[in-house]
Amino acid sequence: MPSTAASRILEHYRPPFDATAVKKIKEMGGIVVGKTNMDEFGMGSTTEASAFQVTANPWDLTRVPGGSSGGSAAAVAARQCMVSLGSDTGGSVRQPASFCGVVGLKPTYGRVSRFGLMAYASSLDVIGCFGSTVADAGMLLHAVSGYDRFDSTSSKQDVPEFDTQFLSMDSFESKPLKGVRVGLIRETLEEGVDSGVRSATQEAASHLEALGCVVTEVSLPSFSLGLPAYYVIASSESSSNLSRYDGVRYGNQVMADELNKLYECSRGQGFGGEVKMRILMGTYALSAGYYDAYYKRAQQVRTLIRKDFKAALDHNDILISPAAPSAAYKIGEKKDDPLAMYAGDIMTVNVNLAGLPAIVLPCGLVEGGPSGLPVGLQMIGAAFDEEKLLKVGHIFEQTLKGSGFVPPTLPNVA
Amino acid sequence: MATRALLAVVTASPPRMIQIKASTFSSSLKFQRHITTIGRCFSSDTNPSVLQPPDVSRLAETARISLTPSEIEECGAKIRQVIDWFGQLQQVDVSSVEPAIRAEMEGGNLREDAPETFENRESIRASIPRFDEVYLKVPKVLNKE
Repeated sequence: MPSTAASRILEHYRPPFDATAVKKIKEMGGIVVGKTNMDEFGMGSTTEASAFQVTANPWDLTRVPGGSSGGSAAAVAARQCMVSLGSDTGGSVRQPASFCGVVGLKPTYGRVSRFGLMAYASSLDVIGCFGSTVADAGMLLHAVSGYDRFDSTSSKQDVPEFDTQFLSMDSFESKPLKGVRVGLIRETLEEGVDSGVRSATQEAASHLEALGCVVTEVSLPSFSLGLPAYYVIASSESSSNLSRYDGVRYGNQVMADELNKLYECSRGQGFGGEVKMRILMGTYALSAGYYDAYYKRAQQVRTLIRKDFKAALDHNDILISPAAPSAAYKIGEKKDDPLAMYAGDIMTVNVNLAGLPAIVLPCGLVEGGPSGLPVGLQMIGAAFDEEKLLKVGHIFEQTLKGSGFVPPTLPNVA
Repeated sequence: MATRALLAVVTASPPRMIQIKASTFSSSLKFQRHITTIGRCFSSDTNPSVLQPPDVSRLAETARISLTPSEIEECGAKIRQVIDWFGQLQQVDVSSVEPAIRAEMEGGNLREDAPETFENRESIRASIPRFDEVYLKVPKVLNKE
């Protein structure tokens, strides 16, 4: 099957092996239906940076599905498949899940092998799962999790039975989440977040309280630093990871009379604008004399962010926040303004910096589109505590009143 | 859409140092930045050398990416904007904070350094654009010096 990372530089590339996650799915009898669209090399938040096409959001075809794993989210939302895989480096599974009204699950860094995942930022990348229910996403996670000798960052931690803990609603007690301590991150409900998203999040918090949770506000003082730190780290690591795309051993080659020219032309013509920009930013941030000021500093900020999360999770079972400051944008709305585009990642990047697991599930609708636009609630857990996230998520989802999150473009889907 | 307020004070003599004041998240979506010149803008543990703004042509050469003149201009403007925004990290007190390479480190999950023959070499060969027997063909390397 072709694998292009939505880039012209890999336009006709067919990999000689399967990623470990895909291999595991096939071994368990999973049927791989196809590949989906994404932002080129994972760099983007709308899927508009694909070299091939723009994907439309099934809830409103004039809007984006989110990104970078927008195609995988849209495919599940449109019921083209039951579950799908994506990658999450700064929110690329969770934000599209929110925009498309599906469940997006980001595991702990190291839970799922990255062998066969085309690397974008190696200290942040994880493979994530999409499903139309928490149970489906959990089952997929169970299938792909586990230690892999081909990924030295993959964890030897036991993989609990994520796939068997989903009780049916009939067996729920009246307060099925009694005593679960939930921390609502204060910094995620400040000015700059759409009022519709804020109310949906507050309603979700009330719903959790009704289920027996104890919801309090928590503060993560380093919160706003996550966005610049993330973009420094991600651009820097990507400048190194994408140096392998040189047109020599695979991919599209632009012939030249001299080797450096071959590299320059193959990459210049093969990479899209956003990719080139991030590689150049990363090259700058890692240059001699600049490393301390940018990359090392961003790594130090990462330590501060980890500490804040750890402190909050010492006193709470899970933390919650919106998945994004707004619902899906119109196609073309953010395309020319990189900082406006990056601002949309504020809710998700800190979780990647801290390496923690998180799940996004649809919790409400806001105005827009033919029947409203979905917004997702993000739940963040302690490292390797996906089991708790799935338990809380499943109960939340099953007890949420409403007709379920089915896009209006689908005729008669249950 | 984001609005930005930009004040730049240009001094007569290079090098020019700039400091970006960080704004909290609530106003960061509006991206109002106040740029002033000062003598020294780095905290004590960074190298007190000047951070020159990015030279896009030189970066493109280092990264082996060819850019058209219009790309250099367009890309350059966006890159400078983002690098300016990165500057807010300089405000943070990171004295005695250890850098974190990644989130959690279990350490030592390395496998034995023993070569294994890959069973699908033909598929690897099929991807190579220019191939001759056992060699990957590339153009000559010109020594720039």
